[in-house]
Formats: sequence, C-alpha cells, structure tokens
Amino acid sequence: MTLFAAMNSLDPRVNRLPTDKVANSSPKAALDQFGTFEVFVQAKEGKPFQHEGIVHAPNLEMAYVLAKEAFTRRFTCVSIYVADTRSIHVSVMTEGTVNAYESIDDPGSSGPRVSYEIYHLLKRGKQHVHVGTVEAGSPDEAMWKAKQLLAGEKQVFNIWVIRTEDIRFTTTDDKDLWLTLPEKKFRDASDYKGGDKLKAFLESVNK
Amino acid sequence: MDQQALKELLYKMADDQLIMGHRNSEWTGFGPLLEEDIAFSSMAQDKIGHSLAMYTMLQELGEQDPDTVAFTRNADQFHNCQLTELPNGEYDFSLIRHFLFDTAEALRFEMLTRSTYEPLAQIASKIRGELRYHTMHAQTWIKQLGSATEESISRLQKSLEYALPYALGIFEPSPFEEQLVADKIFEGEAALEKKWKAKVEELIGQTQLHLPSWESLTPISGGRRGKHTAHLQPLLDEMSEVFKIDPTAEW
Amino acid sequence: MYGGGNTFEGIKSDELTGEDPVKLAEFEAKIDRGEKIEPTDWMPQLYRKQLIRMIEQHAHSEIIGALPEGTWITRAPGFKRKMSLMAKVQDEVGHAQLLYSAAETLGKSREQMIDDLINGKSKYSNIFNYPTFTWADCCFISWLVDAGAIVNQLANAKGSYGPYCRALDRICAEESFHLKYGHHCVIYLAAGTQKQRQMFQDALNRWWPPMMHFFGPSDKISVHTEVLMKWKVKMGSNDDMRNQFLDMYVPKIKELGFTIPDPKLKKNNDIGRWEYTEPDWEEFKRVINGDGPCNKERLEVRRIAEERGRWVREALRAPKAQYVTPLA
Repeated sequence: MTLFAAMNSLDPRVNRLPTDKVANSSPKAALDQFGTFEVFVQAKEGKPFQHEGIVHAPNLEMAYVLAKEAFTRRFTCVSIYVADTRSIHVSVMTEGTVNAYESIDDPGSSGPRVSYEIYHLLKRGKQHVHVGTVEAGSPDEAMWKAKQLLAGEKQVFNIWVIRTEDIRFTTTDDKDLWLTLPEKKFRDASDYKGGDKLKAFLESVNK
Repeated sequence: MDQQALKELLYKMADDQLIMGHRNSEWTGFGPLLEEDIAFSSMAQDKIGHSLAMYTMLQELGEQDPDTVAFTRNADQFHNCQLTELPNGEYDFSLIRHFLFDTAEALRFEMLTRSTYEPLAQIASKIRGELRYHTMHAQTWIKQLGSATEESISRLQKSLEYALPYALGIFEPSPFEEQLVADKIFEGEAALEKKWKAKVEELIGQTQLHLPSWESLTPISGGRRGKHTAHLQPLLDEMSEVFKIDPTAEW
Repeated sequence: MYGGGNTFEGIKSDELTGEDPVKLAEFEAKIDRGEKIEPTDWMPQLYRKQLIRMIEQHAHSEIIGALPEGTWITRAPGFKRKMSLMAKVQDEVGHAQLLYSAAETLGKSREQMIDDLINGKSKYSNIFNYPTFTWADCCFISWLVDAGAIVNQLANAKGSYGPYCRALDRICAEESFHLKYGHHCVIYLAAGTQKQRQMFQDALNRWWPPMMHFFGPSDKISVHTEVLMKWKVKMGSNDDMRNQFLDMYVPKIKELGFTIPDPKLKKNNDIGRWEYTEPDWEEFKRVINGDGPCNKERLEVRRIAEERGRWVREALRAPKAQYVTPLA
C-alpha cells in the first residue's frame, strides 16, 4: 500500500510549462549535444593545471564560459583553460610496469617548430597533469621532445600533447572570475554545523 | 549623509537582484543544455547572494532582517524594476533579459566602486569578478545566437524589442538622485543609462540583431515606486509559501 | 544521487563465450591487482554493456532527481535555505553531466542516452517517481535519499572503471555539503514548532517505504551478479547497502524524536543484520516499470526541456546563417 496517489503536478514550475506549445519529440540528430572540449583547472597559484573532465559546447569560446561553472564553481581555483578534444594527441595507454615513453621514437623533424603543452598520467584512475612545454614541428616530435626533457623518473601511463595555440587560456583580466570563490560557504559542508542546534534540542527533550 | 537616499538605492538594488535571481533559478533543471543549465543556475545564486548582501547592509542601517524584508513584503512594497518580474518565457527572452539587466548591473557596480559609502564601494569591488562572468556569459550567448540562424536571430529580435522598454525602466530616477550625486554615493541613473546605452549599442552592433532607436522606445517604469505588473504578487506568494507557514519559526 | 540494485539484468551463461580467454584472464588480473580499466583497454562486451547501463542510469537518476527537490527552490524558506537548495539541485545537474561524460567514454553518445531516458528505454532511480508534497518531503530527500546515494557512491568509487571512478571522486566531494545541509534542515524541523515536527513526521511516514526500496530488491530475489562483483562493477549486495544505511541513519532519525513507520524495524545484534517488514517488491516493480505517481510527469518534464531547447542547440550547430538584413 502506498500513501501516494497519482496527482496533477505539485510543482508550480511544472504547471507553468507551455505544454500545449511543445512539439512531439523525435530522436536527436547527431551532435545535438555538440562536440566535447577538455577542461584543465589550476587549483592554486604555482600548482600545475590538471585535467578535470569535459564540457559539451558548440565552440571553444562557449566551452570556456561553460567550463568555468561546470568545473570551478566549487573548491579552489585560480585559472582554467579548455581545448577541443580533437586537438589532443594521445600516446598508448600502458599498464602494469610499462612506461608509455618506451614506445615513443624519434619521428624526425618536420615543419616549423611551434609550442606544445605536455601532460602525464601517473596512475590509472587519476587525472592527467600538465608537466611542461616543448617546441616541435609535429605532435609526434613533441612527444619525442617530452621524452628527452620531461619524462623524469616516475612511470608514465599515458601522454597527452596539445598545440599551445589550440588552447583557450584565461587572460589576466579573467583571473577575477574566481575572486569570491573562497567565500561561497553555502556550498561548503563546514557551513552546516547543526551540532549546536541538535545538542540544544536533545537537552530540551531530556529535561 | 541622507539615509533615506541611500536606503532607497539599496532597496531597489536588492529587490532587483532578488527577483532576477529568483526568476533565473526557475531554469534549474529545465535548461537547453546541461552545461548551460549549470552556468545559469550559478548566476542566479550569485544574484540572490548579492541581494542578501544588500539587505544585510540595510539591516545595519536599521531595517529589519533580510529574511523578514524579503519574504514578508507585498508587491507594492517592492522596488524592483518590472523587467525582473516578467515570466521567463522561452530561452530567448531569458537570455535577452540577462544581457540587458546584467550589462546595467555590471556598469552600476563599477560606478559604485567609487561610492563614498564605504560598505557599498567594498562590495562593488568584491563582486566585480562575478559580474564579469555574468556579462561574459551574456555577451557570448547573444553574439553567437544573434548571428546564427534565421530562427535564433528572429527569436532574439522579438525578445529584444519586447524587453527594451522594460529595461529602460531600470533607470527610472529616484526622488533622491540629486542627493546621491551630491553626496557622491552614486553617480545617478542618468549617468548609468548613458553608459548602458553605449554598451548595448556596441554589443548588439556585433550581431545581426537590429537595435531600435532609443527615441522610438517608451520606457515602462513604475517598479521603483511600487507599481508592478500582475506577475509580481504571485511570484512573492510562491516565494514566501513555506516561510509564511510560520514567519517566527526557524527553518 | 543513485539508487542501485535494480539496474542489472541476469547474466546469461553464454554471454562470456566468444571472448578471448587470454585477454579475459589479463583483464581480470588487472582488476584483481587493483589497477583501473581505462577507455582504450580491451574489455569484454558484457563489461562494457553493463557499465554503460549502470553509469547511464546513475546519470538519469541525477537529472530526474533534480526535479522533486527543484520544485522547492522557488519556495525555500529564507535566504540560507534558498541558496543552499539552489546549489544542491545545480549539483545534481552537474553530476548528471559528469556521469554522462563517463558513460560516453564507453561508446554511447549523450544524444542516445537522453533519447533513451525520454522514450522510456532507460531506467533511473525509482525513488524519484514519488512527489514531494511539502518542504519536509524535500528535506527528507536532501538528507536521507542523499545518504542512501552516498552509501552507493562511496562503494562504487572503488570500482574498476577509471572514468566512473574519476566522476565519483568529484561527485563524492561535492555531495559532502548535501548530506550536511539535509541533516541541518531536518534538525531545524525537529527542534522547531509542533507544525514543523509534524510536517517531517508525515514526510517520514510517506517516504519510508520508497526508501526501503531504494537499494533494490532483497538479495534472495535479486538477479545473479557474481561476475559483475568479480569485475568490480557491482560493489556490494543490495542488502549489504541497505543494512549499512540503516546502521548509520536509524539512530540519527530516532535521536530527533521521530518514529519510523515500521514497528518491526530493529537490529538483530546476534546476526548483525536489521529486521524489518519486507518491502512490497511488487509495488517496486510496478512503479519502476512506469506505474508510479510521477513517472509520466518526470519524463514529460525532461522531454519538454529538451524540445524547448532544441532551437538553441540547432542554431549553434548550424553553419553561419544565410540570412541577411533586408535592404529596404
């Protein structure tokens, strides 16, 4: 037995929906939800940018605008940037004790040298982290350069390479966007200290 | 300093932000794209937060606490402009309203960073980043949709023409304009309106939308004097529905 | 938010034949040593299929779950509750976004997932098929339904699929305020006026049966999911999750002086398990298959939202307009 009965909507917003003006649905066209953009966040000054996820967006500028709230409306952030998923060049994904750099060979130089950003995945299940910038004539050459300059001691499971000019960075003026983030306490667990109220209530009940 | 002039200013700003934030929050879960739903909701939260800051300033000047002031007044006691209380309509109207209102809001707060009333100057400086996001968001959407397809352009055009007379109601002068200007609390609605018009012309000029001449528009005012559309009282009734079960209760 | 347990179909014994036994063994060894599976890894068809279903259902639960609480945003009493509830419901939309993104890595498009929600093909957590009559109903969801979801989420965060784990890490971090907020709301109702206390007691009476359904059918009538447990897709039995929830929250509800509407509910300390009136699993089946108070409304609201937004998406997907301003 249920204490609920089928009802007209109890939601005043729902009752305001223009139901009579809405056409029947048909299956969604391809790219109805747009393509995707990868989002990178810098939590604090001096910390590297870290990949956090994707946004669906019609273009790079809109991706930046939407990423800001999708990924940095909470916790700490001083900067973000985004890049089209299609502009990310990816190495093999290794497992066990194999280093992804082992399969990176010298592709030789080709084309004019431009700037590339390099990211490492140091553990499966974690996020890619920015490790540096190299100059190269192609993404493959950029991986080779990264192997020489950025590989380091730790095992790397996966490498991402993005041409710097494909990235929509945060401008100096835009840094103000996160000015009040530390103060948005209403989105913070610590702002809900029911303890005192609860204690007072329990004491009053036990009187 | 004339408290009445200052309070008048704070009340209308707070009421604008509360009603605008409340309207925009109605899109939560109903947006055209998940990511945009999230963004629009954030900005609505910002607006409510701004109104709370304003009502708190009013409380420091002797008015009642923010919850009482926001949740128990009737429509004729509210000083928001009518633009903010209009129903959300479709997304084209909500975006146009967001663009027109937030452009004014950002300019207003920029001017207030120079206010001689210290608390106001401080908050204006503090929230500049939030308002920067609001205008960045609005401009990106209007620029893109305003030059996209026949449908998006014609929808925005209709909404623009509908909203503009109401938007001009933002700048309805208060009885204390001279005082505010003389005391350097605020440079005044006339100065704000001038800057706003220039900004709107500049931004609409970057789209395929057509901005009617300002002379052809008749401002719809009255909100600042407690004269509202039929939409405000039902909005307030809904907003205060639970609160009024027992206004003395703590929720 | 997510109600688990009801999402898995029975595994047929022949679904694993045809999979390369060497690759399968390597795959299972990887999982056994705690290494996460990433999108480009080889994986059995069944793993991919069940994960898509599970993550997709979780995503749908979030976006649908935004509706019963979302209705109270415009009516929240006071600034604090208003802003908190807006942030919480926004998070639910955000979590849907994160989860769809994780499911996309397995090869199903977001377009297809949204279509399958609206056309009724995909399921979502059953508890959201019930209406929130009062502010207290909303508080019940914010506290106890969220609490249930967190029990599931914390378990699933230790699962084997990388993208789902990353999404859940983020979700669990954001959820921490939800639970505290919900509890805070109920404490205030408990400590408030008689009307407020009664409002929550009434809500508790209404929502307790759906809450007992939340973790899915009891183990003795559930489908066999051993291989999914082995692959760390399913992380605990329905009854295990339900017992964990009862352990944590029955004392907290009673502490506030409320009466849980099940006289049989008590912990059997000899066996370390809770005893309770067996939930009505026929009702559960009926509601999850479409016959609940709000099923039609929930899907219609989603459908309308998508339709109303269609022109927006189409405009930005289309190439630059051919339209030009008239000359005269």
